[in-house]
Amino acid sequence: MRTFALAAACALIGAAADARPVSYEGGWTAIGERDRESTSLLTHYTPHHEWSVGYRAEWMRESDILFNGLQATHLVKRWFAPDSQGNLYAYAGAGIAEGIDDNPTDAGAAGFLGVMADWETRRWFVSYEARVSDMGAGADAMQAARVGVAPYVGDFGDLHTWLMLEVDQRPERDEPVTITPLVRFFKGPVLLELGYTPADDEPFASLIYRF
Amino acid sequence: MIRIFITASALALAISGFAAAEAQHAGHDDAHDHGGEALAPSLHSDIEAALAQGGSLVVAEVNGMVCDFCATAMTKTFGRRDEVGAVHVDLDTKTLQLVVHEGRALDDATIADLVTRSGYETVAIRRGTGA
Repeated sequence: MRTFALAAACALIGAAADARPVSYEGGWTAIGERDRESTSLLTHYTPHHEWSVGYRAEWMRESDILFNGLQATHLVKRWFAPDSQGNLYAYAGAGIAEGIDDNPTDAGAAGFLGVMADWETRRWFVSYEARVSDMGAGADAMQAARVGVAPYVGDFGDLHTWLMLEVDQRPERDEPVTITPLVRFFKGPVLLELGYTPADDEPFASLIYRF
Repeated sequence: MIRIFITASALALAISGFAAAEAQHAGHDDAHDHGGEALAPSLHSDIEAALAQGGSLVVAEVNGMVCDFCATAMTKTFGRRDEVGAVHVDLDTKTLQLVVHEGRALDDATIADLVTRSGYETVAIRRGTGA
């Protein structure tokens, strides 16, 4: 239990998987994520059900670059069915990146562009994301895909549990392709994910709160 | 780090087993059908309490509601309307259940618009005994 609490605390200070990037009109969402490369925080507001705008902070831990800026996300298309939902999103961000700690890089303009797609039922989940960026340390790119299954199906307000597997590719890394198994806990407005990337010996943690 | 993941996985599986057992025995046995067929909605206790105070029932069939974020969006959006006395989302029957206060009105077009603003799609709206 102590280990779980520590991992949950790690998620709280971590930052942003861009899952659920657009909410209901008038809704706020805070997303923190720590993956094998960066730690980020995205807080966004949804003024229209097809758009969200928010503040993003992202720390690239290996290069010690800190990004602060704005992110806009557009729900390009949502496919509805009685038992499933599919989404296609496009997002972009712009801001300032600078070196921290021993990195002497001066503050400069930085930004990123990305697309995300997902499809889910109450039992199955698949998603894909690709992002290109220049966060002050040169052009970079990543892509990731995820599959998940819920071992049981609960109703609204129950504790939902998902077992997931994520494959990501980051060409600039020593380990360009890695697999991250993770567990998702989901109840009401809170979504918590905990995982581990063996190839990089890095924990994965993500926390989303919608309000 | 491996220990963290193993611990979390074991916890997840334990919780999964507990939650699955609880779901089977804690009162929504009649509503769970994961084969995709729509079921007659069983009314949540909040809905029944609001109906007992004289409100009128509205049930909307909604496409795309697959998770608690979807349900939260609905309850937040409809819960802040003065006309609404109670709101509940049943993911099993894919329905939004509303109780409109006695003497107040919430027309179908407004309900459909609010569902759209929540990010979803209305299929049908039923009222009163037809709900």
